[in-house]
Amino acid sequence: MSKPVYGRVGRFAKWLISAPPLVYLLIFFALPALIMMFAAFRFPGDYGGLLPLTEVDPETGKQTVLITLDTWRDYLTFENFGRFFEDAIYLELFIKSFWYAGLTTLICLILAYPLSWLIARSNKKTRDLLVLLVILPFWSNFLIRVYAWMIILGPQSYFSRMLNGFLGWFGIEPVSLLFSQFAVIIGLVYVHLPFMVLPLYANLEKHDMSLLDAAQDLGANAWQRFWKVTWPLSLPGVWAGVALVFIPALGMFAIPDLLGGTNSMMIGNLIKQQFLDSRDWPFGSVLSIMLTLSVLLLAAVAAWAGSRHKKKD
Amino acid sequence: MKYWLVMLALLAGTAQAADELNLFNWNNAVAPATIKKFEAQCRCKVKETYFGSMEEALAKLSAGAKGFDVIGPSNYGIPPLAKQGLLQPLDKAKLPNLKNLNPAFANTPLDPNNQYSVPYDFTVTLVGYNATKLKEIGVQADTWAVVFDPAILAKIRGKVTVLDDPREVIAAALRYNGFSANSTNPDELKKAIATIKAAKPYWAAFNSQSYIKELTLGNIWVALGYSNDMYQAQQDARAAKRAFQLAYGLQKEGNGMTADSFVISKSAPRPDLAIQFIHFMLEGQNAAEITNAIGAGNPNAAAKPFIRKELLAVPAINPDATQASRLEQLADQDGKTRRAWNKAWTELKLQR
Amino acid sequence: MNKVSRWVWGAAIGVYAFLYLPLAIVVLFSFNDSNLNAEWVGFTLKWYVMLFNDEVMLEAALNTLGIGLVTCVVATVLGTLAGYAMYKWRLRLLPVLVLTPIAIPEILMGVSLLIFFVMLNMTLGLVSITLSHIAFCIGFVAIVVRSRLQGMDESLVEAARDLGASPAMAFRKITLPLIMPGIIAGALMAFTLSIDDFVISFFTAGVGSNTLPLEIYSRVKVPMKLNPEVNAVSTLLMMLTLSLILIVSRVAPNALRAE
Repeated sequence: MSKPVYGRVGRFAKWLISAPPLVYLLIFFALPALIMMFAAFRFPGDYGGLLPLTEVDPETGKQTVLITLDTWRDYLTFENFGRFFEDAIYLELFIKSFWYAGLTTLICLILAYPLSWLIARSNKKTRDLLVLLVILPFWSNFLIRVYAWMIILGPQSYFSRMLNGFLGWFGIEPVSLLFSQFAVIIGLVYVHLPFMVLPLYANLEKHDMSLLDAAQDLGANAWQRFWKVTWPLSLPGVWAGVALVFIPALGMFAIPDLLGGTNSMMIGNLIKQQFLDSRDWPFGSVLSIMLTLSVLLLAAVAAWAGSRHKKKD
Repeated sequence: MKYWLVMLALLAGTAQAADELNLFNWNNAVAPATIKKFEAQCRCKVKETYFGSMEEALAKLSAGAKGFDVIGPSNYGIPPLAKQGLLQPLDKAKLPNLKNLNPAFANTPLDPNNQYSVPYDFTVTLVGYNATKLKEIGVQADTWAVVFDPAILAKIRGKVTVLDDPREVIAAALRYNGFSANSTNPDELKKAIATIKAAKPYWAAFNSQSYIKELTLGNIWVALGYSNDMYQAQQDARAAKRAFQLAYGLQKEGNGMTADSFVISKSAPRPDLAIQFIHFMLEGQNAAEITNAIGAGNPNAAAKPFIRKELLAVPAINPDATQASRLEQLADQDGKTRRAWNKAWTELKLQR
Repeated sequence: MNKVSRWVWGAAIGVYAFLYLPLAIVVLFSFNDSNLNAEWVGFTLKWYVMLFNDEVMLEAALNTLGIGLVTCVVATVLGTLAGYAMYKWRLRLLPVLVLTPIAIPEILMGVSLLIFFVMLNMTLGLVSITLSHIAFCIGFVAIVVRSRLQGMDESLVEAARDLGASPAMAFRKITLPLIMPGIIAGALMAFTLSIDDFVISFFTAGVGSNTLPLEIYSRVKVPMKLNPEVNAVSTLLMMLTLSLILIVSRVAPNALRAE
């Protein structure tokens, strides 16, 4: 891989380049997030929020710290984590969400690959336009786009009627598309598709065509050229796309809310419920930590597998 | 442009414009014309910030968001706000119009003696339905059975939605079983959950966002939802000249009811304007404009003469004594009950 | 080859159709003479008239565009630096910090940023929304840029260095143009994420700092206001952004193109 840059200049460059994003993320992401991570060990307030650790005297305005070495047990607890493990429904919900997100990612990859390949292969002028055309629909409002899908999937749409007419020929009962798991998957694929196309395009754009020509000269057919040349070279782009689709899809709640039926709940809905309806921020934080950890674990395993694979080559 | 001005203001540390009332409320709850009238009267500017969900607004305020003068929460949001020390008591001496309030809506358990809040509208959780279709099939909607009884649901399978809200749906199931909507008894909760479990396979979706549209389009025939939404659906269906009629009515087992109120934030920059606004909104005509605009019920007795006639004929907006006695204001739950209900709700949704 | 490329073309057109079917409905219904937003009735411009008289909606649209552009620029710069650093050096903390904001549930991030800003005694408003948007957009840019860099031919950079170019010069003249498509892809994603964000904006917004998603979501409960005016503003915002990009690419063609 890349050669490390040594010496004082190199270290200075490393600092100069990595510090701005690092500092920004530390201040505006890590610090605030740690506050809420810490909430996972606290008790919910009786009326929402968290059980306060300090108390302000209404008359003097003096603040007293309630949590001390003697009383910390009344303010800090592992119980919230215990609740996660003592009931199978949370695990079940995790598995279901991973399945939805995985399926979404796979469909996105299948849809995005030919499109990205085509964009990357077209001439420079049309290329920019084609990329822009991929993202353009996503500058209209999310809710309005999903409402449009509700019209398309609704029982009175041409699409539904045509499909059911077709199924009727085979004597199959008419199906209802809206408010179903099918609608949820369609919605998830739709909102995440550009996040697969763009990284893939960014990767495929740099491929050297002469490699493919050489392969063709050596008698490789189209499938072999794809499988032996294009696909392995595009893997970094595939991984980037998979990460940018799978991870956000995992935490999605708006799509199941809008398009789902009576059993389309995902882990994102549960987390939202904890922060809002349940007013149970500590448990919401526990679920968030579990979700984040599982994603990081998955990423670490993927990176490890990737590096092992490379060594074998 | 404005963006940069704000940036500059922030850098310079300048204070905000002085005569400004900041309102944090449901979108459109107060009609724009009413706001204009108040602006002229107080010679100030009203700046509105909206929320679309009570729990979202509560979470935001619990986390410490400041800068609002008047907040317009649903009544079950008052205890959490008050107990967290986020509200200031109302100075009754400055609210002579308080006498206009219908006694049935004053001094409720959610805010004894109206220490913090003045109600301005109320909505009833009820059944809205496609009257034409239900008549064809011969199904009555004056009972919760239309949403919960599998024998009836079998005729309207896949044509029913209920709110995506454990508080509302479990409350309705409790009433259907003859219990209080505010029950904290675990056995009664169990019965209500069993009712929902049996009915769920016949429902199309848990839907809080688009049932009005689905009703108006004829995709859904029965929806458990809010009275003001049903009023809207009815109006829309008429405007679109549908071949069917939409209707909504109270259920004989009784309905849950939620009022919305004005409260003053503890950190209000302008409490003087805030109390002026609340007093203004208690005037009969101003209060009536809310009902006329969104079809919600009105807790203000002095508003009645100004409310449109056809609205007064709707039981969910203007219930008679018997009907009113069957309305039950949804209480704020204690943490334990709240979590138990939500967990039950999650299990329900996961079950196939 | 011909058969294959015909197949690829077919698939690509199918995907474009999938992307544009809902958009067609959004745009079409902005001209529809029915406030139901569900079936075609007849042509009208009344929603656009209503929109141009609706100061609240227009201000929200402008705020959204402003926040989106600032977020896009800052997140792209920071994200590109992060992506480059992650490719160049073996770092421990940065990759985790880049990935976590994408993985963490939005609502937790929204609440925690709100608590953080309140602790800092900062006035909530467009600034706090922008700062938050940048935080969750950096990762998207960084991941794309790094994947673009992976497997890049280092020999060009080395050749430039051998010819006496400083590292900064080599980066600007060789690396930057090479990774430009990745940067553009990242910038487009950052802009899109910002203008469509609801949850984090809701929590970090202050008094009167309205954005389009906030305005539209608050109307969900007020169906009479959730009418095709919303489609009109969506259509308009889309056209505005598109023309902005086209103008920029005309005035400074090299700013957007990889050469």
